[in-house]
Amino acid sequence: MTALIQLTGITKVLKGQEQPRTILDGVSLDVHPGESLAIVGRSGSGKSTLLSVLGLFDRPDQGTYLLSGTDISRLPERRAAKLRSSHFGFVFQRFFLLKHLTAAQNVAMALVNGQGWLPRRQRRARVMQALDEVGIAHLAKNRPARMSGGEQQRVAIARALVREPRILLADEPTGALDTETGTLVIDALQSVTARGCALILVTHDRDHAARMGRLLHLDAGVLTEQLVTS
Amino acid sequence: MMRLSGRARSALIIGLQGIRSRKTRTLLSMVSLFLGVLAVVVVQAGASIAERALLADMELFEGLDGTVVMDIGGTSPQLGPVVTTTVAGRSDAVAMTGMQAIIGEPGVRPVNEGGVPLDGSWGDPGPPMTCDETGCRELPAAEIQPKGQAIEVRLTALTGDVRKYRPYRPQSGEWLDFSTMPSLAPRLVLNKAAAVGFEQYQVPAEMRVTGASANMTPHFIGVVDDGDQQPRAYVRLDELSHWVPAARLIDPNMSEVRVLMTAGTPVEQVLSAKLRALGVEPMVRTVNSREDQEEQLALMRLVFLAMAGLVLLIGVAGILNVGLATVGERVEEFALRRAVGTPRTLLAGIVLAETLITGLLTAALAIGVSVLGMKALVTLAGGSQPFLQGMEFPWDAGVAGVIAGLIAGVLGGFVPAIRAAGIPIATVMRA
Ligand SMILES: Nc1ncnc2c1ncn2[C@@H]1O[C@H](COP(=O)(O)OP(=O)(O)OP(=O)(O)O)[C@@H](O)[C@H]1O
Ligand SMILES: [Mg+2]
Repeated sequence: MTALIQLTGITKVLKGQEQPRTILDGVSLDVHPGESLAIVGRSGSGKSTLLSVLGLFDRPDQGTYLLSGTDISRLPERRAAKLRSSHFGFVFQRFFLLKHLTAAQNVAMALVNGQGWLPRRQRRARVMQALDEVGIAHLAKNRPARMSGGEQQRVAIARALVREPRILLADEPTGALDTETGTLVIDALQSVTARGCALILVTHDRDHAARMGRLLHLDAGVLTEQLVTS
Repeated sequence: MMRLSGRARSALIIGLQGIRSRKTRTLLSMVSLFLGVLAVVVVQAGASIAERALLADMELFEGLDGTVVMDIGGTSPQLGPVVTTTVAGRSDAVAMTGMQAIIGEPGVRPVNEGGVPLDGSWGDPGPPMTCDETGCRELPAAEIQPKGQAIEVRLTALTGDVRKYRPYRPQSGEWLDFSTMPSLAPRLVLNKAAAVGFEQYQVPAEMRVTGASANMTPHFIGVVDDGDQQPRAYVRLDELSHWVPAARLIDPNMSEVRVLMTAGTPVEQVLSAKLRALGVEPMVRTVNSREDQEEQLALMRLVFLAMAGLVLLIGVAGILNVGLATVGERVEEFALRRAVGTPRTLLAGIVLAETLITGLLTAALAIGVSVLGMKALVTLAGGSQPFLQGMEFPWDAGVAGVIAGLIAGVLGGFVPAIRAAGIPIATVMRA
């Protein structure tokens, strides 16, 4: 069975300073559909950088990136945008909701992105389904200012899920939330693996990391996998 | 096709959401641009109006563009009859001849000797002169008549309706009617400068014309604006001919003789040939005021456009400033939109479209205000400035406004659009 994601020897070098710094140093990683991964590591170890390569925000300087067997290591931006739309969902530490839009409009934003077009009614149905999935369908008409942090983050998760991505990337999604709310958010995230979506979670929280199927350590750009014993 | 329309629809929604969430900003950039576009429209319209005003005055003196003007000088006594018989009854040529006439009390000197303007704007005319075939000399003191209730005018005798070539503006009463039987009492139409005189001085109506067989009683039937400062009166040549012998009527020695013709009329050829047979070489030219003025007008327009351009530039700077600030504020939004797969070209297009729409809306507003302003001007000042009457808003000013709005939109939106497209997606991870 081909891996959903196959990274081999991914290297990312930060240029533009006196001397180039290697942020990712020969990272190799296979991810299969429905898997959940936790990536942990010290601040500045390169976790967000790895996610930005995985999510096609950025391209690696060396190494190959296969997505369902297709080499996308040197993908032009136009096609990368299309793939981000069709294959990836993103959740960040800050929720990044647009404050002038309602929860439903914020979720719909991922559908109104110039990649294909859904008629209004279908769009609304998809949005409501995504909001329902994270348990906040009743807040559809609220603006971010009138929602709690946990609710806002779940709107952001709904936004990431509305196109039914193959891979969900989450960068410290509970960083701004209290423990209880954080657990709720992790629940919402983890539920996607049931339908074959891979979840890659960057977190500082040991407990949240422990709930993932695989645990990976990033240290100064070097990725190592800890075998989970259970 | 479907993909394109999907992109367009997305762009529309995103753009409208952007404008709606930043109404004040949009309004601000519109205000800064409004003045610039207004300046361009006003300058363009002003130049058109100025051109029109300039030409309107030139048309009164020179005749409408395309009019063929023949000036005739010479001593042959045949001249008058030849000119009048050639143009008689023709609709494509009018002969006009000027002579001195004094209207008023008999036996006195006119208050404006020499036919000078009655407002004294030409200064002191000097001692009274007398002229005959041998030349002009000062009148001996004994012969100087006392000044009295009389006004001297240049009397212009016409063989037909000259307004086809010189659009004299009616002020009051009527213009000469050339279709009726010539009256024995010559009917006169005064110009404004002469009418002023007859308002100031209540003169008994008697008209003395040099060479006339007798003094005649003129009928004033109307007043026109011929653009001339000098008092003038217009009369049908055939009515005057009852009193003035033909040889004196058109006497190039004593008067100016001019034939105005429609371009291409056979009169030009025929009359020239007849005059040459008399040994007179006519001077013929075609009125082309517009072209003569073009260079001068173009320069004027350029200077004002440069000034308007400067104002517009300030407007562009305003829209650019607001646009950059807006993009700065929207960095996270754009990074996020890129993260969810919105192509950067679409984002750049949306930013550009937002400023373009702002620019065009502003242009429409500025043009609307100018059109209304022009309407107000025409209604308020149209009475005293006849060339404004029936004046339409010059379409090239509208076009200039739209172009200015477009240019401002492109200039003001281009840099922010590029900025927007260049925002790295990773911004959302490091904020
Ligand atoms: N655009 C950038 N400009 C400057 N330095 C950068 C940039 N991107 C990454 N870095 C550097 O690369 C290193 C890795 O950054 P990264 O954000 O991936 O770390 P991280 O593991 O996510 O840290 P944290 O846990 O604090 O979020 C850091 O030392 C950071 O300073
Ligand atoms: Mg990070």
